[in-house]
Amino acid sequence: MAEHVVQTALKLGVDEAEAYLENNRDFELRVRNGDVETVKQSTTKGIGLTVYKDKKLGFSYTSDLTDESLEEFIKRTLQLSEVADPKPWNGLPDFGKEEKQIGLDLWDPSISEIESHKKIDIAKEVEKIALAYDKRITKSYASSFGDTESETIIVNSRGISRTCKETGVGFGVSVIAGEGSDMQTGGWSSNKRHFKDLENVVDVAKEAGKRAVEKLGAKPVKTIRVPVVFDRYAAGSFWYGLLFALDGDSVYKKTTFLTDFLNKPIAAELVTIIDDPTIPRHVGSMPFDGEGKITRKNTLVENGVLQMFVYDSITARKAGVKVNTMTRRRGYKGPASASTLNAIVKSGNTSRKKIIEGITEGFYVTGLRGMGTDIPTGNYSVGASGFWITNGEIAFPVDGVTLGGNTAEILKNIELVADDLDMRGSLNSPSFKVSELAVGGKQ
Amino acid sequence: MKRYFQPIKRREFLKKGMAGGAVIATAPLWKLFSHSLPPPDIISNPLADLDKDTLNKLITIGLQNGGEFAEVYVEYTVQNSIGLDENKIRAASRGVDMGVGIRVLQGEKTGYAHSDDLSLDKLKETARVAGLIASGEIKQESVTLKEKDIPNYYLVKTSPDSIIPQDKAKLLWKGNEVARAYDKRINQVGVGFSDINKKIIIANSEGVFVTDHQTISRLMVSTSALENGKRSRGYAYKGGTLGYEHYDLQVAEELAKEAGRIAMAMLPAEDGPAGEYPIVLAKGDCGTFFHEAIGHSLEGDGARRKTTCFWDKKGEVIASKIVSLADDGTVPGARGSINVDDEGMPAQKNILIQDGICTGFLYDKLNAKLMNTKSTGNGRRESYQHYPIPRMTNTYLMAGKDDPEDILKSVTRGIYIARIGGGNVSPTTGRFVFGVPEGYMIEDGKITTPLKGIQLMGNGPDVLMNITMVGPDLEIWGGGTCGKAGQGKPVSDGNPTLKVAKITIGGAKIQES
Repeated sequence: MAEHVVQTALKLGVDEAEAYLENNRDFELRVRNGDVETVKQSTTKGIGLTVYKDKKLGFSYTSDLTDESLEEFIKRTLQLSEVADPKPWNGLPDFGKEEKQIGLDLWDPSISEIESHKKIDIAKEVEKIALAYDKRITKSYASSFGDTESETIIVNSRGISRTCKETGVGFGVSVIAGEGSDMQTGGWSSNKRHFKDLENVVDVAKEAGKRAVEKLGAKPVKTIRVPVVFDRYAAGSFWYGLLFALDGDSVYKKTTFLTDFLNKPIAAELVTIIDDPTIPRHVGSMPFDGEGKITRKNTLVENGVLQMFVYDSITARKAGVKVNTMTRRRGYKGPASASTLNAIVKSGNTSRKKIIEGITEGFYVTGLRGMGTDIPTGNYSVGASGFWITNGEIAFPVDGVTLGGNTAEILKNIELVADDLDMRGSLNSPSFKVSELAVGGKQ
Repeated sequence: MKRYFQPIKRREFLKKGMAGGAVIATAPLWKLFSHSLPPPDIISNPLADLDKDTLNKLITIGLQNGGEFAEVYVEYTVQNSIGLDENKIRAASRGVDMGVGIRVLQGEKTGYAHSDDLSLDKLKETARVAGLIASGEIKQESVTLKEKDIPNYYLVKTSPDSIIPQDKAKLLWKGNEVARAYDKRINQVGVGFSDINKKIIIANSEGVFVTDHQTISRLMVSTSALENGKRSRGYAYKGGTLGYEHYDLQVAEELAKEAGRIAMAMLPAEDGPAGEYPIVLAKGDCGTFFHEAIGHSLEGDGARRKTTCFWDKKGEVIASKIVSLADDGTVPGARGSINVDDEGMPAQKNILIQDGICTGFLYDKLNAKLMNTKSTGNGRRESYQHYPIPRMTNTYLMAGKDDPEDILKSVTRGIYIARIGGGNVSPTTGRFVFGVPEGYMIEDGKITTPLKGIQLMGNGPDVLMNITMVGPDLEIWGGGTCGKAGQGKPVSDGNPTLKVAKITIGGAKIQES
């Protein structure tokens, strides 16, 4: 069908066309207090069409894939391109010489054969164990099990035709611990490509329970500047700010604080960040990016020095730089945009325990709230929770405080990077220590 | 001049929503999708085949495993957007979504299935799958669907979907020109117009049969300024359940000036302080605060599951005496307004807090039934791909009596929040955090230095008790898209000028005391 759409668009007179087709099957199950609460099943499909005519861009999407509607849809997309202004850099990506596509093993054929009762059992069990973890755990938010099969097709008029079939499967639980009027939530989950890679139900349940209980009694501290340790699972939200600031279009428009920093140091020497979507079976892996380019490993920051920005093909052409392979589609409803695919901050060689032991008074952050980095200025400000460190030990839980500083300074003040990298998603980081940050709390 | 700016919620950048539209509740089905200037794909819309008999059949199939309630939700949505940046029309785009979602309930259980393939066989299969959640004898054999008249709260004369993109482009050019002319230091300007035109049919086993045509539109101008390596941003927009007649060149000009003003005002901003301070929230532009910090904790699903901080507080004092809070889906033209919710219930004005006392929660059908109460018209869903859950519409702090000038004068050293930015909250603990795109120091009752990089942090229950002054100048404006349980939904909010006696500010500067 994608082939047909591209051919029809060419026949109607466009210069270049790309069709992006998605076909998904999803299953989602929620359990609360031992009973199945919701079961949701769906199949969705849709197509996004990008056309260029005289260097003018048009884009449309539809989930109405009947023959007569498709013809109309293609015509309309062409009409839309007539409204846009021509830009010399508009057009499909230049594919050049690509690396060979390797098998990433992202498809588990057994996913569609998991029996319903097995899914229900897993969701029930993870909830039951999490609730039993501690007497103070009083309620369940819900536990869940979900799986998905999807097929993505990109066809364009430069002869590219690529298909990816992938699966995803996961389960998790969220519980509430209470003591007096204090309530705290804790959740954990496991998400994989293959069913048999899923983590142990008991481990996931206990982690959720532990996360709820350990926060009980959390309180703000007084406003102070101290060393701060970002836990590996909380660190992601900090790195997102940096990755957004690397967006090629913002660099071109000079609207990011990192605009003038290519090939210059932006972080402490022990910071290296790569984007690697080529790890077999990993949840953040994909064989080709949002524009259909074969993915590869890219180094963004090496020993603190900024190596590249993140461009889509149009922005790269506009800026006159070499295109990289980091674009993403957010479904068929939008064109590809520049984004890292599976960012990894490299592990250091100090244990997290050692890092904490080396701090007389400090803040071990395990939760962050809010957007954090303001891209134009690099200002960093978030809500934070975690634990206070006194004389190298965890002293008490903390919540209701803020962290304030500037991303550029924080990056330079990274003193230690831990060896605890755990690859769970599409942005992966070890824990790390920043020499000093403002913690805003009580007066 | 009316200020058009309103905080953009976090998800707003991902999903830009639109709504508005008059309703023809009594028209034959095929006419539901007719249009003043009908685009061809709406005339040939396959939904026209979904007549009452078919809906009836699907409901009956949904109930065949013993379900207590079955519902069919039909949606056809057209989204248009056009954007300008770097002095060029970047692109115009258009999208069509259509599909059917079928829900079956039994006790606390929900079965949900949806399909974008509208062939009768596929829909029957969808109904059957949704019904599998239930087990037991058939409780209902058939249903008689009755059309319901509903009121209209949308201000739509001309559907934005009927306007050709070339016309919308004129607004963008005007906004671009005025914003660039505002100050030489403005280095980037973006202007966008977008509209969502959604047609829905809701039919259920209780005989409800409702149709609605929702339109949401928005014109937005954003600016960046640069001077000696210092950067700032500004933005302003007008939007709501509004037809195209609400937009013209003058509106574009006003928005552009406002976006320019904010970027220039924030260019010399200094690091904000960290610590506890009194704050004054400007009227109209800080309602997100109440949506996030309070509203989410008063949604009926959390109340039923006892997972929100207010679940057992109905009838109790949860706020200072001068605090009254409403959620009101009937504000004409507001972004969160709805004629009916996504379960076919008419929108209504719900008082959540009256003079400091918690008076109720926001309910959808399911949570209301399980709590032995009635739906408040807040059962909402993002699309046919989602089942409804309790959601806010337009949430606002009601007017008080304190003079806005006195409110400002009462603060010796504090923060003035001219507009509040994106935020989020944990409904369980009530803890929230908000960004502040435009904030200033208050010194001796006067607004002074602009501040950058500050966040408001605290928890809803504490803040409610700490509201010490409320002005009479309520404004409901703007809004964004609220995200909950993976579903984005257009909402709006509002507030009069008010004072919170103390709240934690997160900034980079530590005050030496």
